[in-house]
Amino acid sequence: MAQALSNEKRRRLAGGTVENRSSGLAGLIEETLPKAIIRDTTIVEQHIREGQFQRSLALVTGFSSLLGGLEVAYEHYRGSYSQRIMYTPVVLSGLLALVGIWGAFNRRVARRLLPVVSGVMGLDAVVGFIFHVRGIARKPGGWRIPVFNLIMGPPVLAPLLLAISGFLGMVTAFLRQEEDLGLDRQTTQSYGSSNAKPNSSRLTPWGVSHEALTLEQDIREGYFQRGMALAAALSALCSGFEALYSHYKNNYKYKIQWTPIVLTPLLFAAGIGTIWSRKIAHTLLPIISVLAILNGAVGAFFHLRGILRRPGGAKHPIYNILYGAPILAPLLFAASGFMGLLASLLRRRD
Amino acid sequence: MSAADFNPNPIPEQGVYSSAVAPAKEPGPTSAGNKLKSNRIDGIIRPATFEEPGTDDEGPVENLPVDVKIGQPLKSRAQPGYYPGYNTLSQQKFWDEATRKVVLSRVNEVPPIRFFTPPEHKLMLAICARLLPQDDRDKEHKIPIVNYIDDRLYHDRIEGYRFEDMPPDREAHRLGLEAIEAIAHKMYGHSFVKLGPLEQEQVLQTIHDGNPPAGEEIWQRMSVVRYWTLLMQDAIEAYYAHPYAWDEIGFGGPAYPRGYLRQQNGMAEPWEKDEQPYPWNAPPGSPSAGYKPLGGASGKQTPVGQEGTH
Amino acid sequence: MKEPLLGSFKAKPEPGEHRLGPIQEIHVPMRKYSQDEEVDFCIVGVGSAGGVLLQRLARAGFRVVGLEAGPFWNTERDWVSDEAGSYKLYWNDLRITGGKNPLALGANNSGHGVGGGSVHWAGFTPRFHPSDFRVCSRDGVGVDWPISYWDLKPYYALLEKEMPVAGPAYYPWGDPHGYTYGPHPTAGVSNVLVNGCTRLGIGVSIGGPVAINSGSHADRPHCIYRGFCIQGCKVGAKQSTLVSHVPDAINYGAEIRDNCMVSRIEMGPQGRVTGVTYYDPDKKEARQKARVVIVCGYAIETPRLLLNSACPGWEQGLANSSGTVGKYLMAQAGNVVMGRFDELIRMYKGPPANSLTEEFYETDPKHDFARGFAVQTVGPLPIAFAKQMMVAKGAWGWGLRRVMMDYNHWAPLGVLGEILPWEDNTVTLAEEKDQFGLPVARVTFNLHDNDRKLINFATKKVEDILIAAGAREVVQEQRYAHLVGACRMGSDPKTSVVDGFGQSHDIPNLFVCDGSILPTQGSANPGLTIQALAARTADYLISERENILEGRPFSRISPPVRHDLSPEGTSGRGVPRLKGTALKVK
Ligand SMILES: Cc1cc2nc3c(=O)[nH]c(=O)nc-3n(C[C@H](O)[C@H](O)[C@H](O)COP(=O)(O)OP(=O)(O)OC[C@H]3O[C@@H](n4cnc5c(N)ncnc54)[C@H](O)[C@@H]3O)c2cc1C
Ligand code: SF4
Repeated sequence: MAQALSNEKRRRLAGGTVENRSSGLAGLIEETLPKAIIRDTTIVEQHIREGQFQRSLALVTGFSSLLGGLEVAYEHYRGSYSQRIMYTPVVLSGLLALVGIWGAFNRRVARRLLPVVSGVMGLDAVVGFIFHVRGIARKPGGWRIPVFNLIMGPPVLAPLLLAISGFLGMVTAFLRQEEDLGLDRQTTQSYGSSNAKPNSSRLTPWGVSHEALTLEQDIREGYFQRGMALAAALSALCSGFEALYSHYKNNYKYKIQWTPIVLTPLLFAAGIGTIWSRKIAHTLLPIISVLAILNGAVGAFFHLRGILRRPGGAKHPIYNILYGAPILAPLLFAASGFMGLLASLLRRRD
Repeated sequence: MSAADFNPNPIPEQGVYSSAVAPAKEPGPTSAGNKLKSNRIDGIIRPATFEEPGTDDEGPVENLPVDVKIGQPLKSRAQPGYYPGYNTLSQQKFWDEATRKVVLSRVNEVPPIRFFTPPEHKLMLAICARLLPQDDRDKEHKIPIVNYIDDRLYHDRIEGYRFEDMPPDREAHRLGLEAIEAIAHKMYGHSFVKLGPLEQEQVLQTIHDGNPPAGEEIWQRMSVVRYWTLLMQDAIEAYYAHPYAWDEIGFGGPAYPRGYLRQQNGMAEPWEKDEQPYPWNAPPGSPSAGYKPLGGASGKQTPVGQEGTH
Repeated sequence: MKEPLLGSFKAKPEPGEHRLGPIQEIHVPMRKYSQDEEVDFCIVGVGSAGGVLLQRLARAGFRVVGLEAGPFWNTERDWVSDEAGSYKLYWNDLRITGGKNPLALGANNSGHGVGGGSVHWAGFTPRFHPSDFRVCSRDGVGVDWPISYWDLKPYYALLEKEMPVAGPAYYPWGDPHGYTYGPHPTAGVSNVLVNGCTRLGIGVSIGGPVAINSGSHADRPHCIYRGFCIQGCKVGAKQSTLVSHVPDAINYGAEIRDNCMVSRIEMGPQGRVTGVTYYDPDKKEARQKARVVIVCGYAIETPRLLLNSACPGWEQGLANSSGTVGKYLMAQAGNVVMGRFDELIRMYKGPPANSLTEEFYETDPKHDFARGFAVQTVGPLPIAFAKQMMVAKGAWGWGLRRVMMDYNHWAPLGVLGEILPWEDNTVTLAEEKDQFGLPVARVTFNLHDNDRKLINFATKKVEDILIAAGAREVVQEQRYAHLVGACRMGSDPKTSVVDGFGQSHDIPNLFVCDGSILPTQGSANPGLTIQALAARTADYLISERENILEGRPFSRISPPVRHDLSPEGTSGRGVPRLKGTALKVK
């Protein structure tokens, strides 16, 4: 982290110019990705710093990680924790949730601890993904009956969904805290303001009303719309894919089960489209995102109803939550929508 | 158990049953080419000959179940049952090799008749056609029940036990045929195979009810109800082991390595079909449609369930 | 998808490989002992109990040979996902059955081949209740066990990990406890039981306890919900000692001789057994010398072997000075009650063993009978169901065809009722001989008053449950399940064959360890208890190592529980559980 800090200082001294491209990987990225992304990635760190909603995003990270953690805790319970490694995402999600929330109140935690935990979470998610792919291969018939084993085997994209919280955590770490700019808050262009007081000693909750008033503006300070939109798109894809096959398992008994399936490609397209088009970012993306959020809420309601309608209903709550419709899954879908919305509110540089 | 349990000293000179105790060299539908000569083997008295049946493969109209809506006989079809178009065999590529072999050989390599003599065979055909009637199946899709029963008896595959009031299975089957013939003669003055389907059912119903009007000395040697369950079990094991029967009742069939994914609410797997029930009745007057208690209403002979479940 | 990627599934052609399920494999060459060598233990029958014993003793470093009458299954090649094709999993040699209420044997009964009955069991694994060990002192019926629940409890916990058992985190009946693996999802029949019970206010345990993987367990995959458990689980998700203990036994140097039928146990001069005589796969007679012989042949074959081993000095049969070998045979009332529903059930999906209630397990003073029963899900495949309809509804002809067309609308539930041990329920020798010329077993079974009352009450109760769940028609079939007893354990050598460790009262180096030693049977399926008893006997034998090797008398002291002898891959798995369980309610 010392590294990160010194980088930050360097950036500050450089007054926001972005000329420190490294070769190698960056070069490769440059050749393979659309120009727009490259530009964004090369200045991403700096632009993220434009965002002054570290507290809020830390909370979002914490909350989404909590959701993901609960989801993986019970999904892995269904898999009986038959390997010890299955505890890692549960523990890490819990940790990330804690650190995320702590980071909302403590800058040092947000800057130093959060990225570490987020990074490990991301790594764990990749490992999880590999294990899930292997798990499917080891089921009878393996990948030769992909439809069946995708549905009945470990959910192959679910670990990547957890990586999204990791991503949010990473982003959070590079943001400034809301009050960092002090009087400067009204100006949207505010490079290099270094009057941030270290407030690691501040552990009192941030005033909620103040938070609400300034939220939108704070978010506007961010210049990483593309990154966030991309994350929203990927998250929607993962969670929509899960919906696709788990609803298929239920044979789309209710028409409404199609809705997340329809919204997923739209949100994905809007998210990806945002990378190129400012227009999409301001029109399609927020609309679809709001729809996705609403859809997640409606889905959670139906899932809850499904649980209550199972044999034994509320008399066997634990079992029925375990094997009824996954109550958190629609909320994870809603979280993608939330990220989309966030993205549409962010700024971008063209 | 081995062949020895049935008859430790086969009587080869009688020729008739020799194929029953030792596997035949050249399998063929009636490889033994037998003609009944003797009427005594293993101490069993049997009628010298069974009368030849009328050869009527199609089955008379009165055998057909009735469509309740129009009151007309239901036409024979390739696949009776409520799952039209459902075909377990079409899924065979998803089965493991060992299973596929067993099921396909059951379907494609129907075992020849080697245990029953031709007259016994005919009689058995007529009986099984009532135990599990297939008049609503077209000719190509009838399940050869008797062949599978014959195969079991020929190889003397037993189920691991015998009730103390029963002779060995082979003997029991032969005795039973004899008794059924005797009942038919007693009730209708004809051989079983010559009777109409309803009369045939009436004959069998007397055994089902534990009340056979003839064959006294045979029933002293074996329990009526146990004979009935033996006969029925054999027929059931032949019929419901067949993929055509699975299609009829909507059973999923073999399921390895691919299992089932839809366990809730009776949902069909992607490769299964939804149920499309049609109302039908058994041919008018058919006693077997009535579900009378096995062993008669008195309940003095309660049979016992045979299958392992839990 | 019309077909699997890369076309239809083919068996892997490698010869000489021994597969147990899609990924598990036995790859060490099996150790071979010569017949003249005196091994430490000869185990007759590598079934539920035999498999566990073999594994424990081999791991403890003993020289062990298991003789098994049936084949050593290579499951990928030998087992099929087909009802009729699974005929060979059962003991199909002749037995005679009789009495006033004769038992059906065969497919309803015992296994044949390595794994024994655990190959074709449904996999229900409830523990016995503490009360089961003291039925005589509590309820004045049956007999007390020479051991208590608390003696067996650590072995229950151990076996639940080794199998592993999937079930709820809190199981309320008997001595409450939680399970190693999480519960399974339910299918049609289970939903009916849960619905019915919930509506009647009856507690129900959903998704277990069953010895079926609800998560992959090392090389044994997660259950694929195919419903063929009783046909042998080709997946390897359901526990059998074949997949859970035998591979480890072989790794540790045990030898299994399959297709070897033991014909008699040899008595030596000093009132000790010296080994066994058996028919090898070519049906030739052979011998195996051993310091200790353990008979694990099932409640019918074990007494049969002891009786068939009669010799001068032991005219009544080995270890039979009490005359109780073959007596006090028990079965459980296993009536299947079936309800027809308007909606589809599709009973063939999911493992038949899934949910159960033990709400009626204990003696209830309101009833006119002692002891109780459990209600469990079952899932007969078409042949079994048709046979049940033949009995339950008297169905045949068009009637059978019609009711079978409604196969997918029926939900069957099984009663599991305790039948008490009666002296006149026996295994004796019949006049008939088997393929080796050995007299076969004759099983005689009679119901007594208490049993009949219990069965009547239980079937009525299950009918109520089905009706509460919405059944339109309810029928039932009388049947029995789970033969145990016939070589029972006890502290009094005059009324029992073996002691609490399975050691015969008469012959110090002859042990019996299988279901036949149970003095009473509760209304829990016996498989877990049988395997737990085997682990306990193994611990005892291991703690007596010196005495065994030097031929001295045994100490008869309870052994310490060996937690280090579980098969490879047992530890480090399973859901978080509260250590230990609730209060000891004695
Ligand atoms: C259909 C069905 C379902 C069941 N479901 C359940 C269930 O859900 N839960 C449960 O707990 N129990 C269940 N059971 C019962 C359970 O399978 C048995 O109680 C248990 O397996 C008995 O174990 P055992 O060790 O006594 O004998 P087995 O496991 O039968 O082992 C005996 C072995 O010894 C061999 N053998 C016998 N004699 C000789 C000889 N002379 N020489 C060499 N080998 C010999 C046999 O071949 C066999 O392999 C079920 C049984 C059946 C039939
Ligand atoms: S349902 Fe599960 S345990 Fe039973 S046979 Fe299938 S995979 Fe095995």
